Amino acid sequence: MEPLSTPPGKLVVAHPERKAQRALQRLVGATLSPVEIVADGPALLAAVDRDTIAIVDAGIAQTTPGLRDRPARAWIVVPGEGLAPAEAAAVDTLLTDGWCHVVAHPMPILAEELLATVQKLRRNDVFGLEKYIAWGAETRSYTLGDARERDDAVTTLAGDVVGVGLPDRVGSLVSVIADELIANALYLAPLDENKQRYRATEVRERGRPLRGRDVVTVRWATDARYLAIEVRDRWGTLDPAEVASRLVNGKSGAAATEGGMGLALAYACCNQFVINLQPDVMTEVIALLDVRYKPTELCRSASFHTFVVDTPEEP
Amino acid sequence: MTAVRGGRLDVEVTGARAVLIGRIDDSARLGEVAARLPAGDTVLDTAGVTFVNSIGMREWVRLIRALRARGTVTLEAVSDVLMVQMNLLAEFTGGAVRIASFHAGYVCPACGGETAPLVDAIAHAAELAAMRMPPLPCPECGAAMELADFPERYLSVLGARRA
Repeated sequence: MEPLSTPPGKLVVAHPERKAQRALQRLVGATLSPVEIVADGPALLAAVDRDTIAIVDAGIAQTTPGLRDRPARAWIVVPGEGLAPAEAAAVDTLLTDGWCHVVAHPMPILAEELLATVQKLRRNDVFGLEKYIAWGAETRSYTLGDARERDDAVTTLAGDVVGVGLPDRVGSLVSVIADELIANALYLAPLDENKQRYRATEVRERGRPLRGRDVVTVRWATDARYLAIEVRDRWGTLDPAEVASRLVNGKSGAAATEGGMGLALAYACCNQFVINLQPDVMTEVIALLDVRYKPTELCRSASFHTFVVDTPEEP
Repeated sequence: MTAVRGGRLDVEVTGARAVLIGRIDDSARLGEVAARLPAGDTVLDTAGVTFVNSIGMREWVRLIRALRARGTVTLEAVSDVLMVQMNLLAEFTGGAVRIASFHAGYVCPACGGETAPLVDAIAHAAELAAMRMPPLPCPECGAAMELADFPERYLSVLGARRA
């Protein structure tokens, strides 16, 4: 019997501890891809090629120079020693250094997040909150017909979230996240012919019908493990590297009055922040809140992932 | 007393004291609040603030800067949402403003209830400075509640440090 076709490439796990190596091998082994295990930076560099997805311990990631710049399909950082939560400062450093995939949380979130991340990369199938939410959960969707509907969408969403039994604290976080993601889609995504974000300074109280590329869609779902909020625009203009640097630098006093704090605020309110991008076609941002655990059992900084869809070249 | 209404935020100004109720967002006119308050020390009560977005936070920073240039700013009954967002900004960390009391998200380990009681930052100053939140009784079952989040998310603005 021939196996079903699987995407090319291997997975390489780099972690200094044998126990963590075994756990990570089992996790990513669920993809049925070949998995190679190494214990340090030099061995990792020797094992990685262009088709490799590398899963790297945070300590190795921070102490092996030039790692992220080596050609590979993707580099994913996972928490360090004992698979405990990552240190918030380490996550900030990794984001500043330009890592596109930083997993911050311990098991079992690590397992769920890492498997979804690896499969999204392998299959080049990145869009949709369904990748993170259990099959049985219902998804609710809102499409904004006018820019002025932002407040109504946020209020409705927060009310719905509290209505399913989640605490007011989560409803409050959801309000901030949804408001910022929708504002980003409405006012920062659109570009003019000179590549300028011409709606960035638009008066936000003003109505504007949303048609064609200006349509913004909001979806959310919860499965009592996660609450996922997804906001899509049809521009595909978000610069993930710029966003990553703002997530960390948004804390500065200057940033507080210069603007551009919105995504940093949304990131600060969630546990996993995912940017899915098809350049010039669509940006989708998904913010995930873990509703199982006390925040103190998780990393103080959220995980961060950027997925850019490979667009087929013109014939 | 004078009232300032901007978008979804109501502000009542009485002497050097302002009470803010509603949403601090794109439509909040906090510049007008600064103009209505007299020169010198001021007090802001934000217990009724239910939502703050990034543009609202930018306006809040500008308001605090303007008032600090004129005297001491004391924040009373800072709402949970505003407290958490102020702690995200370096602008406010290290005790840059005087906070008399604030609301914080607590969870009851016994019954799972969540609430945001008022914490007296003056009475509990020593504990808070050591990055510890006081245990408070659950209004539903009476058990000792604990903070639902990292203490840093509430206490960095008080200049607190872990022992």
